[in-house]
Amino acid sequence: MPRLSNVIVVEDLVKKFKDVVAVNGISFSIKKEEVFALLGPNGAGKTTTIHIIATLLKPTKGSVLVAGYDVVKEADKVRKKIGIVFQDPSLDNQLTGYDNMYIHGKLYGLKGRELQEKIMKLLDLVELKEFAYKKVMYYSGGMRRRLEIARSLLHEPEILILDEPTIGLDPQSRARIWDYIKYLKKEFSMTILMTTHYMDEAEELADRIAIMDKGKILAMGTADQLKSMLGQDVVYITVNNLNNNNNDICNMFNFAKICKVLDGNRLELVVDNATKALPEIFHIAELKGLRIVEISYRRPTLNEVFLHLTGRELRDSLELQPIPPRRRVRFR
Amino acid sequence: MNSFNAFTAMMYRQLKRWWNARSRVIMTVLNPLIWMIFLGLGWGSIFSPQNIPSIPGVPNVPDVVSMMRTAIDNYFKQIFGGVGYVAFMITGVVVMTAFMGSFISGISVIWDKQFGFLKETLVAPAPRSIVILGRIVGDSIVTTIQSLVIVMLSIVLTNEVNFINIPLALGYIFIMSLGFTSLGTAISLKFSSMEGFQMVVNLITMPLVFMSGVFYPVTTMPDWMKWIAKFNPLTYSVHATRYWLANANVGFEYMNPLTDLAILTVFTIVMIIEAMNIFEKTTLED
Repeated sequence: MPRLSNVIVVEDLVKKFKDVVAVNGISFSIKKEEVFALLGPNGAGKTTTIHIIATLLKPTKGSVLVAGYDVVKEADKVRKKIGIVFQDPSLDNQLTGYDNMYIHGKLYGLKGRELQEKIMKLLDLVELKEFAYKKVMYYSGGMRRRLEIARSLLHEPEILILDEPTIGLDPQSRARIWDYIKYLKKEFSMTILMTTHYMDEAEELADRIAIMDKGKILAMGTADQLKSMLGQDVVYITVNNLNNNNNDICNMFNFAKICKVLDGNRLELVVDNATKALPEIFHIAELKGLRIVEISYRRPTLNEVFLHLTGRELRDSLELQPIPPRRRVRFR
Repeated sequence: MNSFNAFTAMMYRQLKRWWNARSRVIMTVLNPLIWMIFLGLGWGSIFSPQNIPSIPGVPNVPDVVSMMRTAIDNYFKQIFGGVGYVAFMITGVVVMTAFMGSFISGISVIWDKQFGFLKETLVAPAPRSIVILGRIVGDSIVTTIQSLVIVMLSIVLTNEVNFINIPLALGYIFIMSLGFTSLGTAISLKFSSMEGFQMVVNLITMPLVFMSGVFYPVTTMPDWMKWIAKFNPLTYSVHATRYWLANANVGFEYMNPLTDLAILTVFTIVMIIEAMNIFEKTTLED
């Protein structure tokens, strides 16, 4: 098998479900030993992308290569190369943690003493050894996630796929899962593809991030690269009477590097130095008769990048405790 | 070798799940036991008359009464293939237990869909046909064991069961279970809700049981029912099981243990291939 520097190559991938376009022509590639995160809100098409890469869905258009194998034509070979932790649980609750591991191992062709030893080693790694013979139905959410991570590592996959690895977990459990992911990266140099809708998670763990929304990749790069799209400081101004002349209003603030009108009478200005720009902004507003209702400035984080790219906020992060994602009402 | 591992993994899983849910084990035996005790003992004495009422005008001579009793007894024995009704029905219920159990075991596929374990088996590199086969065999072993329990319990109710032939009878039951488990699995791969599957089960299983000769012989059925019974695989496993367990040959002229075996084998192979095909094509969109 040829040694490839790109372990996963996705080209012009499209997936349609009946009348919904879930993934709309995305392309990216993941290098060996890289941690790559797809960041975006629920419904962005992240999980669909993951399912196609994991051979569980067939693409409508485009091609996906995993470790050099085509996910449609060589699904069996792809399946051997990947370990996956799904967003929704995929454990057998009525069996013990050990049995879940054991069945997985046998499905992947492991057996005997070697399998037993590997199971115990991995259960030890995720600190579940003492619960090995308890039924999974008595496990907490965090324990289940850890068991799933251990299970996905059992057959020593080349690529680990984590779909929202910390969704629905409490902060402590999240921190623990993060530690494991960092450990895997450091100790085993694993190639990891993960999806998340937590900005802090993507920033903390990923080497490269692709921001996804409505089936498209809007931007891709390291966290620093993405943030530098916005320069130094971002000023947000809410005015009470933003009429439709977007160009007019941006012409007023011609000193800004980027000027963009966002949803809800909001204006985004990217400036070199906010402390100096603020008095200027007030001055201009007064001259032009604009009434400023609210003003704030931030150093750009991924949240500001997302806001810049989509005009909407990516609400979920650890700081802003999210509403459970299932019940979250989509904007507009 | 790899495939064999996947096969045993799934078989192990189905057996372990069953063993872990021991309360369910009791329930699956309880239901047929209720049929056996109440229907068997309730009807059983009707078919072996104790008191013959005197007919006006005919002198109540003891000899005549006992002759009539023997005649009635023989009549029913002939209908039930030479054994009492209890033995007749119990040997049918043994098959019914396996039939119901195997058909319903398909529901575990729907559970797996809802609890996510199906994804784990779909993403595994093992051949899908082997994965589903392991599952079907595991479930069939479970239902065959349940039948064995029923046979053992029947010892309390009748002494007409031939225990030496139990392994032979269980062989037929196992083959039939493979077929109906495959059918149940194939159906539930197409359903995503328990309710839908339950409805189909209720719609199919009860009529099939009544048109198979479990509770009454196929030979005394109305013609249209006979016609359906001939196309019902359950009829053949009931006939064969009764043949071995009660030495009672109750069925259509062409039926004997060999034709039973041939028909059941063909049915089972077709069903297994069908289940494999459906599972092979399963994606998350179903």
